[in-house]
Amino acid sequence: MSNLQSLLDGFASALTLTNLGFGLLGTFLGTLVGVLPGIGPALAIALLLPITYTVSPASALIMFASIYYGAMYGGSTTSILLNTPGESGSVITALEGNKMARRGRAGAALATAAIGSFVAGTIATLVLAFTAPSIADLAIQVGAADYVALMLVAFTTVSSLLGSSQIRGFIALSIGLALGLVGADLQSGLSRLTFGSDAALEGIETVPVIVSIFALGEALYLASRFRDSGWAVIPMKGKALMSRDDWKRSWKPWIRGTFLGFPLGVVPAGGSEVPTFLSYSIEKKLSKHPEEFGNGAIEGVAGPEAANNANAAGALVPLLALGLPTSATAAVILVAFQTYQIQPGPTLFLTNGALIWTLIASLFIGNALLLILNLPLVRVWVQLLKIPRPYLFAGIVTFALMGAYALNTSIFDVQVAIAIGILGFLFRRFGMPITPLILGLILGPNLELQFRRALQISGGDYGTLVASPLSKVLYIVLFIALFTPVIARFMRKVRKDAHA
Amino acid sequence: MKLPQGGKSELTFVGSLFLVGAIVAWDTYSVELPAFNLTISPRVFPYAIATLLMILSAILFINILRGDTAVPEGHAEGTPIEKSDYRAFSLVLASLLAFLLLIERAGFIVAASLTFFGITVAFGNKRHGRSAIFGTLFITLIYLAFTRFLNVQLPAGIFKGLL
Repeated sequence: MSNLQSLLDGFASALTLTNLGFGLLGTFLGTLVGVLPGIGPALAIALLLPITYTVSPASALIMFASIYYGAMYGGSTTSILLNTPGESGSVITALEGNKMARRGRAGAALATAAIGSFVAGTIATLVLAFTAPSIADLAIQVGAADYVALMLVAFTTVSSLLGSSQIRGFIALSIGLALGLVGADLQSGLSRLTFGSDAALEGIETVPVIVSIFALGEALYLASRFRDSGWAVIPMKGKALMSRDDWKRSWKPWIRGTFLGFPLGVVPAGGSEVPTFLSYSIEKKLSKHPEEFGNGAIEGVAGPEAANNANAAGALVPLLALGLPTSATAAVILVAFQTYQIQPGPTLFLTNGALIWTLIASLFIGNALLLILNLPLVRVWVQLLKIPRPYLFAGIVTFALMGAYALNTSIFDVQVAIAIGILGFLFRRFGMPITPLILGLILGPNLELQFRRALQISGGDYGTLVASPLSKVLYIVLFIALFTPVIARFMRKVRKDAHA
Repeated sequence: MKLPQGGKSELTFVGSLFLVGAIVAWDTYSVELPAFNLTISPRVFPYAIATLLMILSAILFINILRGDTAVPEGHAEGTPIEKSDYRAFSLVLASLLAFLLLIERAGFIVAASLTFFGITVAFGNKRHGRSAIFGTLFITLIYLAFTRFLNVQLPAGIFKGLL
């Protein structure tokens, strides 16, 4: 069966009333959490994970994918009107977008962001639909040792490129790996780091950890820091529309952003920061109005927004084809798959083909729904920014605690959640990035499994780890990422230039 | 030499991360290995993590002493770092602990309403009566929605048999 046929079948099953309903709910929730500062897509999906026990896999995954895309649409609204980027991918959007809003061009900025996201999301999902299966076909030959190398590369890039300090990224990663150790070792039954607790034997639940490190950590941190900084929403005049000139200036950045963002999502390049920064600096170079950059240039919104969305679609390629998440949100979606005993990876398209094609089809549908939700209805979302901060955080925190408790009806999970919340506070206060910790926690046990598998096949010969050509290439990539954080330095320079 | 605001507490934090590494190593060392033989000992991976954590936190410790102190999240580089507001922080933490202590004793509605109220106070809400009433209503609604429609188990506590 050809990919196209599978995709059409996917559309047929995504367009059933139930699945369409969950898609709509997901786009709605995604936009909601994207707009609200303080909740990102990773937290939103983690909070909603408990429902996976009562809903069918297809419906739940459709909803999560819609949240994933929706949060990015919503995030741009907040960056433009509030100058408070909710996630790393919208930082750049805030640079020019907020300036545009201040000059009374909020409508055009919101429109180019939403339409750009739609264009990029649609093209990128199309590319995803036709590349992911072929990559999965290739990946079937990827051995355990190659997986070890792949995961180490993902760890290195995510730890090196996120945040301002490489060493802090790696420490965050190690803490995540250590948390992943807790519990009975699957192969030997050995109890590790349980300190005599029976509840700890089953390991630390990843969902409460993710929920509390974002929700509780953020609440503790913001309470201790930015007490008086309220939100100053820039009022929006007119409709979210673009003039002819805006269209003329936007379409090329959209396309360029798409083709920059997608490949950088496929290879683990540390999330959406790099592609959005790169897109911004390219648009600044190519623009006919470079003097407008820093004062609200529409290209500076159009390009990075497209790059951000294409990047998110690209990140689904390694997630689906290799089972390798490259961002916090992708990691949470991986956990969602695992709660259904579905392991993303090379065999996914064979074992759960229908499900995955439904998911991909729902991404197209979700994108179209999001465009509708975000252009004419943008004012409705702006109203959300009027929820008082105390109520917003009180709601987030109680939801997080409820989720932690309800997962296993266990008080132990609440204890873990609070401890992790304090850790999340400390991480924020001392400038350590959160994403490496989550990747370490989720991928650590998998890394150990593949590591042992590789060495069992080779009879304990460590040479097997670098035996295949693929692993050799991957280790070279790893060393490049490790020892030349030029990109990070480059990004910092761009950031400085942009602020200057 | 003088460390900037929060420098000492950062040293304590990084020092305790080193300790975490040491605890991982000690726990791995002291655990009894199973009788059967495994190609790769279940100790290899924990030892690697412990070593990584200890080496990195030691390096960071030295870096901090040399002046590479942390930039708190969301903080513009170069501006002075203000002192943490420990009163608000403690209020949030106390609200979290209240939930932990009360969820199984008094039930979800009491525990969560109290947490909700505590957080609004910590975030500077001044109209206490209003937020207490709104919070309790909101939590009760959530409780009913989750237990009735989503089959999520939450303890009724003191409202057992009533709701």
